[in-house]
Amino acid sequence: MRRRSPDFWSGLVLAALGGYIVFRAQGWDYLTPEGPGPGFFPLWYGIAILALSLYLVASPALARVDWTGSGRAFATWAAIAACVAALKWLGFVVAFAALTFFLVAVMYRKAMTTAAAVAIGIAAAFYVLFPLALGVALP
Amino acid sequence: MDVLHGLLHGFAIAIQPANLLWCFVGVLLGTIVGVLPGLGPPATIAMLLPLTFLMQPAGAMIMLAGIYYGAKYGGSTTSILLNVPGESASVVTCLDGYQMARKGRAGAALGIAAIASFVAGTVGVVGLMLVAPPLARFALAFSSPEYFGLMALGLAMVVLLAGRSLVKALLSMLVGLWLAGIGTDLFTSVPRFTFGQLELLSGLDFVVVAIGVFALGEVLANMEAAEEDRVLPVPKGLRNLLPTGQDLRDCRFAFVNGSLVGFVVGVLPGAGSTIASFISYGIEKAFSRRREQFGTGVIEGVAAPEGANNAETGGALVPLLTLGIPGSSTTAILLAALVLWGFKPGPLFLSDNPSLFWSLVASMYLGNVMLLVLNLPLVPLFAQVLRAPAFVLYPVIIGISMVGVYSTGTSLFDVGLLAGFGLLGYLMRKLDYPSAPLILGLVLGGAMERALRQSLMMSGGHLSILVTRPIAATMLCLALLLLAVPLFARLNAWRMQAMEEEK
Amino acid sequence: MKTTGIWVAALCALACAEASAFTPTRPVEVVVHTGPGGGSDLLARSVAAMMEKEKLLPVRMRVVNKTGGGGAVAAAYLAERKGDQNTIGFFTGVWLTNPLVSDKAKVTLRDLQPIARLVLEPALIAVKADSPYKTLKDFIAAAKQKPGELKQSGGSITSRDNVVRQLLQQETGARWAFISFPGGGERIAALLGGHVDLMVIEPEEAGQHIRAGNMRVLAQVTEKRLAGFPDVPTLKEAGFDVPVVPQVRGVVAPPGIPADEVAYWEEVFRKLTRSASWKKFLADNQFEDGYQNAADLTKFYDQFTSQMRGILKEAGIKVVR
Repeated sequence: MRRRSPDFWSGLVLAALGGYIVFRAQGWDYLTPEGPGPGFFPLWYGIAILALSLYLVASPALARVDWTGSGRAFATWAAIAACVAALKWLGFVVAFAALTFFLVAVMYRKAMTTAAAVAIGIAAAFYVLFPLALGVALP
Repeated sequence: MDVLHGLLHGFAIAIQPANLLWCFVGVLLGTIVGVLPGLGPPATIAMLLPLTFLMQPAGAMIMLAGIYYGAKYGGSTTSILLNVPGESASVVTCLDGYQMARKGRAGAALGIAAIASFVAGTVGVVGLMLVAPPLARFALAFSSPEYFGLMALGLAMVVLLAGRSLVKALLSMLVGLWLAGIGTDLFTSVPRFTFGQLELLSGLDFVVVAIGVFALGEVLANMEAAEEDRVLPVPKGLRNLLPTGQDLRDCRFAFVNGSLVGFVVGVLPGAGSTIASFISYGIEKAFSRRREQFGTGVIEGVAAPEGANNAETGGALVPLLTLGIPGSSTTAILLAALVLWGFKPGPLFLSDNPSLFWSLVASMYLGNVMLLVLNLPLVPLFAQVLRAPAFVLYPVIIGISMVGVYSTGTSLFDVGLLAGFGLLGYLMRKLDYPSAPLILGLVLGGAMERALRQSLMMSGGHLSILVTRPIAATMLCLALLLLAVPLFARLNAWRMQAMEEEK
Repeated sequence: MKTTGIWVAALCALACAEASAFTPTRPVEVVVHTGPGGGSDLLARSVAAMMEKEKLLPVRMRVVNKTGGGGAVAAAYLAERKGDQNTIGFFTGVWLTNPLVSDKAKVTLRDLQPIARLVLEPALIAVKADSPYKTLKDFIAAAKQKPGELKQSGGSITSRDNVVRQLLQQETGARWAFISFPGGGERIAALLGGHVDLMVIEPEEAGQHIRAGNMRVLAQVTEKRLAGFPDVPTLKEAGFDVPVVPQVRGVVAPPGIPADEVAYWEEVFRKLTRSASWKKFLADNQFEDGYQNAADLTKFYDQFTSQMRGILKEAGIKVVR
């Protein structure tokens, strides 16, 4: 079976989004006595998204996407997401230090000590600079 | 008090050593705070406002002017060096500025940003002095149909930002429009696309989306490379640390373009610096001899939006000081500050408080000069930031992004959104969807929809209002022309191809 | 004798303990629902400055911005902080009306601890200076002749601008269009540029334009005439018997705080409203002193919301609570 191009899949996702928008827009007033309603604009751009993305799906594929290394990127993103989730319980300084440690040690394969030093150093710098010096709250 | 007399008087006040000091402090503080994304000039001024209660109004205003310019410049700095837009208007600077940094020309980019800001800011203030009243009347003629035309023109610029695939750029822009629509509808109070989340009722904060897509997306993309690289080539040699003579010559048109576009757009209440920077970028690209290179690090691509950004302030002061109507969020805060000090900006401001008005004008000149003086020498210093190894710099970028986003609304939900948009930014990069149109759609979408609905309400449902009014009609024509350009190019290409095949 | 002494001492101790039962020891968080520079934010900062000037608080006030949801996020934040002794919030009319129309805005003023009502913002009904309408009656008559053609600029549908319009429309049977503009500046620009015919405007903003000859005021939305506008009739005087719906601002605190803390805050704000800086603040901004203590505020809240409910329903806006 012929491999589908990435454009095909992204086109499908966008078409789904377009469809969803159009669906929701139907539920709102298109035109009220006062003027166009909340459904007016979304309907039109929803249709536009749908049309263009279907065009994308149907059109010949462009370049291949190079997925090498994306595993690392996704792993980094997962770490960031975990950090954000942890903010509520651990607070910024701790969660961020952990994230930095992870990034330096795992992503960049530096020695544990370097990782720890960098993590603590940067987190401390943030702590000093923002809440203490400028009065800006940390998450 | 005639213009020259008033100006000299204003300068006399502004140049007093105490006031100079305040200006300096303001610029310094402004730059530091402005570097933090999300804390743009309005928020910075609001935060530092209490300090000014203890000072004389003239000194306080001068400090505010300094803070304002500092914050704008701080935002540009992070845009260029880290691809983190400091505020909405800096997004356009990211496009070419960051690319210049990647090529090792960060110093030149930073320098030209300061210089363009200075030139445009000066033009802006001159404009304010000389043409304020007639321009204010012109601004009043501008209402919803004209705004719609302006927004349409802005969105048509997507054509110029398209890169390889116009379809993907359009899709990107449309998704941006959708994102702009998330929230509570202004006219009917109906929540749209809020997925049941309380925090989404007021819509997405631009800062969250921009930082996520640009900065985090970039970081994630860079994570793919396992080897520890220098993040960006560190500029070496004076040629790369400051703009060269050639650079300045290249930017001649950009200076003019940025100044004029910024000033005129600033005069219109409600049209902000973001639109000004996009439009001036678009115009620059349209008229440039090397338009295909825009987006890869062309210096005019930094000069034009930076200039527009700055001239917009001068323009925004026109409606403020002549009509008491703030032209942008920053001038709204300025208005509030003036009110708190007991002054009432409005049609009579100039005649009631001539010395304050002229000190304000003089302080803006001064702020501009101070910015140049302070920052140009610091440019090489800032550029050294790039020396930091990747494993230090990227966590710092992530951290700054999170803190910056949090500071705008103190909401963990926003930080979560940031992470989500970071992923989106990364995917868009991989799948070759340009991200600038997304931002364009996000910024202009809300305003455009409002303008359209307001126009239709004004005309009682007749679309004709958009074409019967001259200004609106002109802009819509321009927008259509812009959109038609790629069509012509395609037709032309087919024609060529057909001619070839016939031979 | 000794016993009495001990009793007296004990009573004294109790009394002293009561008096110094609550004083804030750390900077007080003041929650507002706008971003930095917005209306509530500026009010909070002004109040903080006045507190310092009049030395009413032993500690500083720190403004915390919790934007979103038309006040719902800030209200929810305060509700979460049950029993927190270091936080208060500034509310505006939006906190009262939003829960009526938005089912996501679950926290009403009743779920929080009211402390005081501070100001009432009056409004004026204004037209462009060269408009053909010299009195409100002229405008209404014209609107009756051409229903739906005249236009008013204002904020969102649930804003006070529209409420005044709804009340007048119901009372007179006239109809005119309402166009929402998110910013005050844009509304004024629309009026001055001739794109709309009428607007409801705050006296502070109007003052300037009137002096400059740009605007004319047809009526005031107040109970009695404002000091700055002695020649302008109130709505009642102009012949329109509609309730005066005020725009309010006041102070709340998280629920579940001890009674002595409530008393403390009530007292602080009462003193504030009697101070010279406050009077100057009111005069500069042309606010009406709408001071009410906690109990009266609660009563006001109930009355206001039921009035609003009626008005919104008449206007055809979906009411969820």
